[in-house]
Amino acid sequence: MDNENTSPPLDPRLLEILVCPLTRGPLTYDREHNELISAKAGLAYPIRNGIPIMLVEEARPLAP
Amino acid sequence: MTEEDFTARHYGPRASAYVASAVHAQGADLDEVAALLAGRGFGRVLDLGCGGGHVSYRAAPHAGEVVAADVTPPMLDEVAREAARRNLPNITTANAAAEALPFPDADFDAVLSRFSAHHWRDFATGLRQARRVAKPGALAVFIDTTAPAAPVLDTHLQTMELLRDASHVRNYSVAEWAAELSRAGFALRGFTARRLPLDFASWTARTSTALEFRAAIRALQTGAPEAVRAHFAVAADGSFTIDTASFVAEAV
Repeated sequence: MDNENTSPPLDPRLLEILVCPLTRGPLTYDREHNELISAKAGLAYPIRNGIPIMLVEEARPLAP
Repeated sequence: MTEEDFTARHYGPRASAYVASAVHAQGADLDEVAALLAGRGFGRVLDLGCGGGHVSYRAAPHAGEVVAADVTPPMLDEVAREAARRNLPNITTANAAAEALPFPDADFDAVLSRFSAHHWRDFATGLRQARRVAKPGALAVFIDTTAPAAPVLDTHLQTMELLRDASHVRNYSVAEWAAELSRAGFALRGFTARRLPLDFASWTARTSTALEFRAAIRALQTGAPEAVRAHFAVAADGSFTIDTASFVAEAV
């Protein structure tokens, strides 16, 4: 997806609910990249068309 | 390609057909869901495997918030659009697999799932995840097409389903549902069996079933034992009637 930065932002209500599907740990919202960061899993979940893609296989591994 | 990808890619291009489908948009089972929610003052409700979003649209007027989750992103785009069109701003959407839900434990007052579980790659894990995210005492309603108990009927059904839709995993029998719900931590409070007539042309059009597979389904039906043809009420054009069930349960 090359337009992630221009995708609509995440609904703030979802940010309150969502956890990492792998670790069930908290997520932080990276506004600049429009991603949800799971620090514990080292994964960034993309947001496309305002919809969080909470699938491990779609997540971007974060550099250690 | 993972199995989630497989389902997502299979359903992605046809998302709007599921929003428009009369089979999916109407039914006594949806009326039952609305009646179970009405007046209960539920805060947060999960529609697990929301597809075209029909459970969410019926649940939204009776809940503080509905989270519509599905493994197919284009379905969610359609649901978000349709929710806006119906002026239901309390529906949010999240792309998720039933087997690994991105929600905390004990988060939902009600968990609803309709016509989804037969696509899950791991039925038992999906049900355990549904139980995990449900608050203790939460309402759970699972609705799905079911397999008849008789093996010959079961085999014919699964074969028709797989020929029609390569992402089909399995229709479970009512007994399998009851056992797995119990194992997952749900107490069954009610059960309603129904019959759902399926029009062959629209049933295969929704999944863009290839012509050779449509022909195979028709050949299978024609050559089936009379007991099979009678159970599924197979008509001359291939239309038939499938069993469905609603399981009303409580998270315990």
